[in-house]
Amino acid sequence: MANGKNIYKPVRARLDEVIEESPLIKTFVLIPEEEFSFSTGQFIELSVDGIGEAPFTPSSSPLVTDRLEVTVMKTGYVTGYMHQLKPGAFMGIRGPYGRGYPVKAFSGKEVLILGGGCGLAPIRSLLFTLEHMRDDLEKVILCYGSKTPSDCIYKPLFSRLNSIDKFEAYRTVDKTEEGWDGPVGVATKLLDSIKINISDSVAVVCGPPIMMKFGTIRLLEMGYRDDQIYLSMEKNMSCGLGKCGHCMMGEFFVCKDGPVFTYKEIKHNPDIWK
Amino acid sequence: MYNINIKKEDWHLSLEKLLSTYEVFVPVKDEYSLDYEPFRLPEAGKIAYNDPKPATPLKNFFLPVRENVTSARIEDKPRIIIGVPNCDVEALKLLDEIYMEESFPDPFYRNRRNNTIIISSDCFGINEHCHCLTYGVKPYPTGYSDMALVADGEDVYLKVFSSKGEELASQLTASNVMTDTSVVTFLEEKHKAVEDLLTSRNKGLPDYMTTGMLVQKAGNGIWEKYSSKCVSCGACTTICPTCSCFLLIDKPGFEKVKQMDACQYPGFERVAGGEDTLFELPHRFRNRYMCKYVWRPQKFNAIACTGCGRCIEACIGRINKNELFMELV
Repeated sequence: MANGKNIYKPVRARLDEVIEESPLIKTFVLIPEEEFSFSTGQFIELSVDGIGEAPFTPSSSPLVTDRLEVTVMKTGYVTGYMHQLKPGAFMGIRGPYGRGYPVKAFSGKEVLILGGGCGLAPIRSLLFTLEHMRDDLEKVILCYGSKTPSDCIYKPLFSRLNSIDKFEAYRTVDKTEEGWDGPVGVATKLLDSIKINISDSVAVVCGPPIMMKFGTIRLLEMGYRDDQIYLSMEKNMSCGLGKCGHCMMGEFFVCKDGPVFTYKEIKHNPDIWK
Repeated sequence: MYNINIKKEDWHLSLEKLLSTYEVFVPVKDEYSLDYEPFRLPEAGKIAYNDPKPATPLKNFFLPVRENVTSARIEDKPRIIIGVPNCDVEALKLLDEIYMEESFPDPFYRNRRNNTIIISSDCFGINEHCHCLTYGVKPYPTGYSDMALVADGEDVYLKVFSSKGEELASQLTASNVMTDTSVVTFLEEKHKAVEDLLTSRNKGLPDYMTTGMLVQKAGNGIWEKYSSKCVSCGACTTICPTCSCFLLIDKPGFEKVKQMDACQYPGFERVAGGEDTLFELPHRFRNRYMCKYVWRPQKFNAIACTGCGRCIEACIGRINKNELFMELV
C-alpha cells in the first residue's frame, strides 16, 4: 500500500482457546500474527472471516502483549458466528481504537468501579491495570451486578480481588437462584454500603445503558462531580476511525473521541442514554 | 484576479493533449440534465462551463458508492475535473477533515485528492433551490480548488490557486498572461447579478448558524410533520456533497468493502441486541438536520450544508428543508 498503512485491513489472529464463561458468554484467546498492543479501555474491531465484524474492548491485561482475550456475548448475527468458532480458527483484528481509561490520572486516588452484565469484560482489563499500579492507588472497589448468579462472568475474579491488598469486590444479582446467599438487587444498591472518600476518588461505570444512566445519577447523588465519573459508551462502531458515522453521539464519534468519556464531557447531550 | 487568458479553441486543444496524462471531466449539458462527462474534443461544444450545477456532487469522484478497501489497487492516473461549483468545493473542506486527518488518513481518498486537479467555476445563474449565499458560500470560486475558470464567448480566463494549478497552467499551449482587465468588470457585474438573484430568491431564509440554533431547539412536532412524507430512500444523503457515512462489509479472505451508507436508512445505529436509537422515522429525519447544522460544525472547522439545494431537488416526497426552516423562524 502506497503512503503507509491501510486503515481498513485487519491483522489475522489465531484463536488459541475458547473459554465458556456463561451459557451466552465466551472468552476468545487470540494470538495476533503481528505485534499488537492496546491501552485499557480502548477497543478493537474483531471479525469473522467473510461474515462481519463488531467492536469489543479486550478483557485481558494490556501488559500481556503476545495474546489477547476478548469476551463476547452471543447477541446477534456476528457474535452468533463467533460462538461457533473452534480453537485453530483465524479471526481478524483492527485497532486498537479510541481513548481508553486515563489510568495515570487515577494515581493517588480511590477508584470505584460500577459494572453490570457484560460490562465486566472491559472492567477486568482495567482491574489488571489497576492491580499492576496498586502501589500508586489508595483503594479499588468493584461493585458488580448480573441478572442471575449464573450470568456472572469471571467468578474466580471476585475472590482473587478480595485477596489483593487495597482491593474490594462486591457482587449482587437481580434475580436469585438456588445456592446464592449474596445480595439481591441492582448494582447501584451495593453503593449504599461501601466506604469511600468521594472527594479523593474517581468512579468508572461500564454496563448496559440503563445501568449507566441510573449508576451515574446515583454517583452524582453520592457527591461525585461530573468530571470524576468515567463512562464507557456503547454505540455501533463500524469503522473505528471516526469516519463512517455510525457511532455519532451528538458531535462526538464514540469510536475516536471515546469510548471512555467523563460525564462532564457528554452531559449536555440529552441523547446519551438512548 | 484572473491571470491567464486562452482562446476556447486552444483550451480545448490543450485538454485533448492532456488526455494522454490525465482523465479529464467536464460539465456537459444535454436535454435532460447537466453533469460531468469525460472530455471529448468533438463534443466540446456541449460543455456548459458556468451553468449551475452538475447533478453529481463532487464527492463521488473521491468516495465511490462501493469499493474494496483491502485489496483494490490504488488508481494512479491523475484527473482534472472542470466546472466544479463553489458549493461543492466548500463541501470538500469537511470531507478532507474527515478522510485526510492525520491519525487515520483514508489511503484511497487521499490518493484521489492528491491525483486530482479541481478547476472550479463561477455560476452565472441559479437553479430553483440554490441558496449557497445564505450559508456564506459565494456562487463563484474563492479558493481551495486548484484553479478557477470563466468562459466568455470565445475566451477562457483562468486563475491559479495552488501549485497543482500552477503546474497545469504551464502545460497549456497558446495561453497568455492577461493584460486586459475588462474581464474584472464583466465578472463583478455577473457576481452581483447572481448574488442579487440568490438574495431575493431566499429572502427570509435563516443563515447557517441561526439554522443550527433553530434545529437544536425545535420540538418533535416539526420533525413528525415533515418526515411524514419521507420514505427513507436516502436520496437526500446520496446527493448531498457533504454526507459521507459508510458501512464496511466483510468478504471472504478478511476483505472489506466500503459502501456509502446513510442515517436515513433504518438500522443505521442499531447495536448488538437490537437497540436502535434512530428506529423511529422522525428521529432519523431529525438526525440529518442535527448532523448538518449542529454537530458537524461543532466538531469540524467546516460547514456541513453548503446550500446546493440538491436534497430538495432529489426528494421524491417533495420535502423542502428550507420550508421547514422558514416554519421554524
